[in-house]
Amino acid sequence: MQSKLSDIELIDQVLAGNQAAYADLVKRHQRFVFTLAMRFAKGREDAEEIAQDCFIKAYRSLASFQRQSKFSTWLYSIVYTTAMTFLRKKRVDTDSIDDENTYIQVENQSSAYDVNNAENKSRSFYLNQAIEQLLPDDATIITLFYKGEQSLEEIGQALGMEANTVKVKLFRARQRLKEKLERNLKHEAKELI
Amino acid sequence: MNNIEETLWNYIDGNCTPDEQRAISTLIASDEAYRLKYQELLALNKEFAAIELEEPSMAFTYNVIEAIRTEQAQVPLKAAINKRIILGIALFFVITLTGFLIYALGSMDWSGQSMPDLAAKVPANFKVPDISSHISKPLVEGFMFFDVVLALFLFDTYLRRKNISRQAN
Repeated sequence: MQSKLSDIELIDQVLAGNQAAYADLVKRHQRFVFTLAMRFAKGREDAEEIAQDCFIKAYRSLASFQRQSKFSTWLYSIVYTTAMTFLRKKRVDTDSIDDENTYIQVENQSSAYDVNNAENKSRSFYLNQAIEQLLPDDATIITLFYKGEQSLEEIGQALGMEANTVKVKLFRARQRLKEKLERNLKHEAKELI
Repeated sequence: MNNIEETLWNYIDGNCTPDEQRAISTLIASDEAYRLKYQELLALNKEFAAIELEEPSMAFTYNVIEAIRTEQAQVPLKAAINKRIILGIALFFVITLTGFLIYALGSMDWSGQSMPDLAAKVPANFKVPDISSHISKPLVEGFMFFDVVLALFLFDTYLRRKNISRQAN
């Protein structure tokens, strides 16, 4: 069972030497941190490594957390930096991820699965599939906005951007997600015919 | 169309001023294109909000806490070797060696013609090899130059390692 204490109360306990309180903090945020890591890594093993690294880094720097923002915002900024470092290490060219070739590759990989399972798929499956096809930045902004309970300003803090830039990026990310979702659903409709 | 979408997303997200909000509400009520687009975006917004979060492995929390514990267990071992002791020993050696070096350089005959009479202080049957012909000013300067290059090389290696570890973090 997860603790009902607030993040700040748990942090105070951790700083006082109660390590179990940090386990509660990890449990509370692990799903979201892991999901964000998945937006960059595209593989569960790598995502777990990133997420674990984030929590360890957060633990190390917990004393320096200024408490001027939410703990989650601070934690997500660590996730973003760690994930970007991971991407750099893996030498993934994020600029080219969104091009047509990559889309076709991803689409083709999933199409074999589509033929046999199209009837069983829910719309949420296609939504997750569309998110996976987005650029990591787009997928992160969408996830932070819809699932992270973060305002545009807080997302800006986590990603090191101005709130207005986040607003523009969110708008574009939604458009791209909508396009990809429509394309995936159209593809499914063709398969059914 | 992009403009309409942008306006409507702002309206849906609640990022409009009250005046803008009223104006957009009127547009949605009166303009068919706005109304259809609004309904479409509203449905999308609902769908996006229903994104499911991924679940890490069952042992995730345990792994994090274990990693922290392991890290903490290593810290006392490091701390046991007091940096001041190491610095003190290093300082002792540096001062001693510098003293010897200064003394040696000070007592050296730089003309290169004669060396201190070491043979007088050692047993008579001990033959000191005659190295005075090998030690010359250029040789000492060469030795010093080599030391400086070596020190620069080691300093460069240290800075590179520091830089790599900073990038890794």
